[in-house]
Amino acid sequence: MNKLNEIPDKNPFKVPENYFKEVNRKIISATSGYENEIRKIGFYNKFRPYFLVAASVTGFVILSYIAVTILSPGKKPMQVSEVINEENPELYLNDIDIFTLEENVASMVLSQQESEVSKADIVDYLLQDNIEISDIYEKL
Amino acid sequence: MNIIKPDDKITEILKTDPNKGFSLVVEKYSSRLYWHIRRLVIIHEDADDALQNTFINAWKNMGDFRNESSLYTWLYTIATNEALSLINKRKRNAAVSIDDLGSHFANSREGSTWFDGDEAQVKLQNAILKLPEKQRIVFNLKYFDEMPYEEMSKVTSTSEGALKASYHHAVKKIEKLLGGD
Repeated sequence: MNKLNEIPDKNPFKVPENYFKEVNRKIISATSGYENEIRKIGFYNKFRPYFLVAASVTGFVILSYIAVTILSPGKKPMQVSEVINEENPELYLNDIDIFTLEENVASMVLSQQESEVSKADIVDYLLQDNIEISDIYEKL
Repeated sequence: MNIIKPDDKITEILKTDPNKGFSLVVEKYSSRLYWHIRRLVIIHEDADDALQNTFINAWKNMGDFRNESSLYTWLYTIATNEALSLINKRKRNAAVSIDDLGSHFANSREGSTWFDGDEAQVKLQNAILKLPEKQRIVFNLKYFDEMPYEEMSKVTSTSEGALKASYHHAVKKIEKLLGGD
């Protein structure tokens, strides 16, 4: 730094007389008209880091939910019996094949037959209540 | 004569009485910031504009000033950015480019009125003008303002190591240019 050291430590630039007094006055006059930003150092700025963390966590939760919803494997297809219990029973008839339908109908008929009470059973039941047998046969 | 208050006192006053606090800021820093800007932009009128813009921006953004950095480095950062904006704007207008102080001062009223340097000073300023902008800022902040590297790092958003290297290279270049005649 020899050459630099040889140069006198003098500011070669000049300013007009009373420049700094004038410019200070101009600056203060110009800024007094602006809304004071300092008042904004308040609740928001104080808790800004916490707001940012809360926003990040919320965003992460929402994105995770969306990702899980989109990427999760599809549901197991409903069974026919589940379909028939839903609001659209006609779908059962649209989707079911004829063999399954025949089996289901056959089982329904069989269960009806099994649940049918015979006339003899009815007579026996009524006799237990001391009803005249001639009256019973009239009704049958 | 007003007593210059330390920055922490000024910051306290800014919170309770912003207008008074800001007056103290202007009184304390206008001269320092002006010379920093002037050494970069050279022309007095340009430095005057940039200085006023610096304080207007500082006033508008007082809410962003946090005590993580000092008032001093925060203001220097704004001033440096204003000076760079002005230099870049001038570059786009080729007619106003300043590459040689000597010819600039010789050919303009500015030269005779607002520059009072001898031949050596003109040589030094010309050598500094030949540095890339960022390096010029580093050199000026270190050589003229004697700013510590730690503060300079905050003003320029550059690591201290990089700043030291930049200053070292700037000095070498200037020495070479000064010794070149």
